[in-house]
Amino acid sequence: MTATVPPDERHEGSPAGRPERPVGPLVARAVVFVIIAGAFAWGASGLDASWARLRSAPGDGWAIFALMWPPDFATELERGVIGKVLESVYIAWIGTILGAAISLPLAFLASNNVSPSFIRLPIRQLFNAIRAVPELIVAVILIAITGLGPWAGALAIGLHSVGTLGKLSSEEIESSDRGPVEAVEACGGRWISRVRWGILPQVMPVIISYWLFRFEVNVRASAVLGMIGAGGVGAELISQLNFRNFPEVGAVLIITIAVVIFIDTISSAVRKRIIAGGAGDDQSRMAVLFGDLVGHRGG
Amino acid sequence: MTADASAPEPAAPGGPGGRPKKPRRKPLTLVVVVGLVLWTWFTGRQVGFDLTTFIDLWTNPLWQKFWPIPWEWVLDRGNVIDPLIETFQIAVVATVVGCGLALPVSFAMSRLTSPNGGTYWVTRVVMNIVRAVPDLFWAKILVTAIGIGAFAGTWALSIFSLAVMVKLFSETIDGADPRPLEAARAAGGRHVPSVRAGVLPTVLPSYVAYSLYIFELNIRASIVLGLVGAGGIGRVVEAQRQYFRFGRILGILLIIFVVVFVIEQISVALRRRLV
Repeated sequence: MTATVPPDERHEGSPAGRPERPVGPLVARAVVFVIIAGAFAWGASGLDASWARLRSAPGDGWAIFALMWPPDFATELERGVIGKVLESVYIAWIGTILGAAISLPLAFLASNNVSPSFIRLPIRQLFNAIRAVPELIVAVILIAITGLGPWAGALAIGLHSVGTLGKLSSEEIESSDRGPVEAVEACGGRWISRVRWGILPQVMPVIISYWLFRFEVNVRASAVLGMIGAGGVGAELISQLNFRNFPEVGAVLIITIAVVIFIDTISSAVRKRIIAGGAGDDQSRMAVLFGDLVGHRGG
Repeated sequence: MTADASAPEPAAPGGPGGRPKKPRRKPLTLVVVVGLVLWTWFTGRQVGFDLTTFIDLWTNPLWQKFWPIPWEWVLDRGNVIDPLIETFQIAVVATVVGCGLALPVSFAMSRLTSPNGGTYWVTRVVMNIVRAVPDLFWAKILVTAIGIGAFAGTWALSIFSLAVMVKLFSETIDGADPRPLEAARAAGGRHVPSVRAGVLPTVLPSYVAYSLYIFELNIRASIVLGLVGAGGIGRVVEAQRQYFRFGRILGILLIIFVVVFVIEQISVALRRRLV
């Protein structure tokens, strides 16, 4: 250091000066940075990622999309791609319905304000167990048993949805207002009336919006399920990619994207209407939904 | 009861003392319900909805192939553990790349902090299209383009988690308090420094929470990447499935289950502290 006083130390301790910079956050920041950088380096070390590959990858990736242009819709329509996309939507719908129908009663049994702990804890663990296994792996096993086809896909999606919907719904039930339940109790309502009139009306809007959100997720999942033979658009994509028919791949992709965006748009409009009741803005609705999704409410 | 009250009380539907009238159902509700039921019935037929499957499922002789689990094979390092480690490496790198890139892109995709309308709309349209393509589609396309293996899988997951993260986080930024940003602008700050000082500190906790959530998603996704040849434990599942070695698959599943469960519990606990 030279003789000049560093600007930060000039006013040290003086009442009007700049307060000293706290050290704690800086250390914490460095630690977090080292952890993330270390994890990244460890991860990258196992990925066979040489500089040459890193440099050529974006170009190769771009090249395949360039090959898809112009998309060949005529061939794909002849091959019945619309029917396959619709089949994916059907699988997603039936899977969501199955998931919703099974998860709703289970969610009540998994909530601490409705059911005793000896019922609640096993069901909650069941939800966790289901969610831990990806639906594709479930489908891999189910296909071996039920045979190839959309029904295996719908079952796999339905099973997985039971886990996620059950968890989200039971959290919603647990955070419901106790007032109506007490009112039903005061009138002499039994357990079933307390649930039906005290809790259900409060939680249903949010739970239905979860169902719709799950439907959006399931549309993507069922598109993917086709890739392992469980029906839907995935099979078409795989076979065209394997035969290197890139214009056809482009057409499949564009149709899939269009259908997914169409369903997302409708579903999110309906969700908005259900949660906000026609008024209310988009942001608060999203904040509520994704807040729940990432566990703002705990659990 | 006294004699005075013996006169029959008027039923008074809707009257001040009586039971309120039950609100009429709107005809639209009826149409929607009937429509949904018909749609469900139709889709059920298309899918081949069949309740007897549930019975078949339990009585199917294939279940016997799931037992016993060959633990010495499952716990062998090269068979399961190494691919599982590869799975985590994919998930970690994809999360860091995806969430890292998502930070600037999310700010560009929020009305509050977007530098101009053009950037806002371009990022929005591109991100919506990227997000509409399912993650395994990305994986399969990139496997075709760059070659089989974890490298392509990492690219695919990075792209997909970028799109999901941008969606979640830009909505948080939309809901951020605009006043610090206004203050920074009023003090003469340029765009990036104003955003950095006025918005970033208020949304950073959500950013970290969403990143952890994306990491959980990526762990799940990276498990199945191998089914399309993009590396990780899914490759082993696919190979064993082709030889109908379900005992081994069940063993792998149990290990996946334990590991995913532990990671998720840690992640949920961290997130709960953050928000």
